[in-house]
Amino acid sequence: MDAQQHRALSELVLRVEGVHKTYGDNHVLRGVSVQMRRGETKVIIGPSGTGKSTLLRCINQLTTPDEGHVWLGDCEITSPKEDINCARAKIGFVFQSFNLFTHLTALNNVRIAPMKVNKMGKAEATELAMMELERVGLADKAEAYPAELSGGQQQRVSIARALAMSPQLILFDEPTSALDPELIGEVLEVMIALAKEGMTMLAVTHEMGFARAVADEIIFMEGGLILEQGPPEELVQNPKHARTGEFLNKITELYGE
Amino acid sequence: MSTILQSLNLLITRGLPTTILLTLGLLALGLLLGFPIAFLQVYGPRPVRWFCRGYEQVFRGVPAIVLILLFHSGLSRTFHILLPAFVSALLALALRSSAYQSQIFRGAIQSVSEGQMLAARSVGMSKVRAIRHVILPQAFRLSIPSWTNEFSSVLKDTSLASAIGVLELMKQATLIFTRVQFIRGAQWILVILILVALVYWILTFVGNTALGYLEKRTRIPGFEMKGQVER
Amino acid sequence: MKKASLVILALALGSLAFSAVAETYKVASDTTWPPFEWADAEGNLLGFDLDVMRCIGVLQGFEIEITSYDWDIIFDDVGSGRMDIGASGATITDAREEKVDFSTPYWTSDQAILVHVDSGLNIVTALAGGYTVGAQVETTGAGFVAELIEAGIDVNLTEYTLYPLAVLDLINGNIDAVIQDEPASVASATAEPLIQVAGVIKTNENFGFFVAEGDPNGLLALINDGVAQLKALGAYDNLIAAYMGTDLVKVEAAWKASIGLLEGGDVAGFAAQLAELANQ
Repeated sequence: MDAQQHRALSELVLRVEGVHKTYGDNHVLRGVSVQMRRGETKVIIGPSGTGKSTLLRCINQLTTPDEGHVWLGDCEITSPKEDINCARAKIGFVFQSFNLFTHLTALNNVRIAPMKVNKMGKAEATELAMMELERVGLADKAEAYPAELSGGQQQRVSIARALAMSPQLILFDEPTSALDPELIGEVLEVMIALAKEGMTMLAVTHEMGFARAVADEIIFMEGGLILEQGPPEELVQNPKHARTGEFLNKITELYGE
Repeated sequence: MSTILQSLNLLITRGLPTTILLTLGLLALGLLLGFPIAFLQVYGPRPVRWFCRGYEQVFRGVPAIVLILLFHSGLSRTFHILLPAFVSALLALALRSSAYQSQIFRGAIQSVSEGQMLAARSVGMSKVRAIRHVILPQAFRLSIPSWTNEFSSVLKDTSLASAIGVLELMKQATLIFTRVQFIRGAQWILVILILVALVYWILTFVGNTALGYLEKRTRIPGFEMKGQVER
Repeated sequence: MKKASLVILALALGSLAFSAVAETYKVASDTTWPPFEWADAEGNLLGFDLDVMRCIGVLQGFEIEITSYDWDIIFDDVGSGRMDIGASGATITDAREEKVDFSTPYWTSDQAILVHVDSGLNIVTALAGGYTVGAQVETTGAGFVAELIEAGIDVNLTEYTLYPLAVLDLINGNIDAVIQDEPASVASATAEPLIQVAGVIKTNENFGFFVAEGDPNGLLALINDGVAQLKALGAYDNLIAAYMGTDLVKVEAAWKASIGLLEGGDVAGFAAQLAELANQ
């Protein structure tokens, strides 16, 4: 057990149980369960089409699962009685294609949710937003519009946007897949720093370097199910399934360590 | 020369104000009606969406002159409602413009990428908040170019109001040239027509310039090059 | 923002002088047809029909409000009662009687054929030599040519929304002849050296003022009586002298100088002065 896991409180921030999702004839998620304790960082890997993104979207209910339950803390967010907007405000989401609000500056992108959703005053929200932008290293780009920023900068702003809501956990959906190679590093740096600061993070990515650095666990999915999960070294050196090893080798080959 | 000046004077003092009033009035009414229709067509429940689509089809498919005559003669015959000619023309053209404008706004709303809505919802905005703070501001900017076309189009449609006795620019031009041909010769009909074309052209130019200014003021730096940032 | 001309306003004000509570009737007229109705350089609406109507109004104690109407819907709108009176050089026809009620005839007109001076056409050849004749839509002239075509005569008809457009085409050689009521044709030929009246067809058409079917306001009696009174006063002949065969610009000037008399209630004086000044 490494130091991070010792430090983490044994409180479940996220509990996902038996999530199923079918699109037409395609049974994409066939019963997936995940648990996250505070401060944990987990990475989901697997072949494309295996439902990794779908799983993330089922967690924050951007997609409604056909079956299954999700708890955020003690609150079951899949229950119809729960206000889903409220739950989403507590879960950060970082998209592969950034999805920054194109008509707003970086500063406005970050502070609009605190102001409109959390009803924060403008001065307070601005201070908060600048702080988060600072945290991702983009305080000087506060007045820039998304179209004026590079991909890596946009993604960092979108992380700041998620952080500004003080989320209980952040979901990352292939955050670097749409970036040019030179820009990937700056985003991963931010993500690593976040993990080290104790943010609870669940990321779909093939950046094994990131996984090795901060992941408490790697989850390997295939065919809509979790095939294997465990600490990075274990999966790399001693995978229980041949398929796991195969896949890990493949991505190491393609994307480096 | 004095004929030209006299004619221009008549055109501008008698015909122009009515044309301007009619154009602005019908655009405003068309906006008031067209925007909710567009909104409901995108976000409303199915029966409402169906109704809006029908509305759009009907009022875009019927020629403006037919609508004008329906409001003018149809209403008076069938329901004994006698509207002043200007009002008939205004309502008929406004209804028609609302259908075109709803089309413009609907297209603009739908062309805001889906990711924007996803991102807004993911930070906890309700659908309504998301529409208000993220979708609509972008849709508004996207709709300006098409709306400028609508303005140019309806400006010319206002000349149809002359059919029911509204003294606007075109009718005024007709009154002028039917007189002028007896006094100066039939070739002068062309002179008057050129004059009135000039006035319409100036109106179009002024309107387009104003709208172009609006477009510029609300432009997002780099917005046009949205495609570039994906990679 | 309405279409009322300044004169109508002045007339209404003037009428107040001798009629405390006067009824106002809406008159529809296709004011693109000198010398019966047209708009002058300042937008005043004048012409034989309109002034007769104004005079009748003064004599019978009602006010009028004249609106420039397109010829194609004038019968519908007067017929339906939306407009009260039509004063627009309208020939009385059976077809039109189905929509409106006409007064007794106040004018008789014939059709004339206009041709280009260089065409060498006369009234017979223009109508039977395979040529194209232009006319305003829905006029009796157009109807006349249509009947010829139906009877198998070799002639073509082109219709125009406005008479001057037909004249323009004739001058430019796009059509070979124009058929229109005699007074307008004569006026056109006078203004245009390139065209001339080839001849007159004695169609003996009667013009009538018209009102809604069934005459709900009882206006025809007032109108017919009004015309009779005008004739008795000699004003009718004066108006004819003022408008028929005179120079448009002179008439316009005469009208501006004289209209004050009508507003003051002096019908005979107005007509007399108008005739005098127009013929100077």
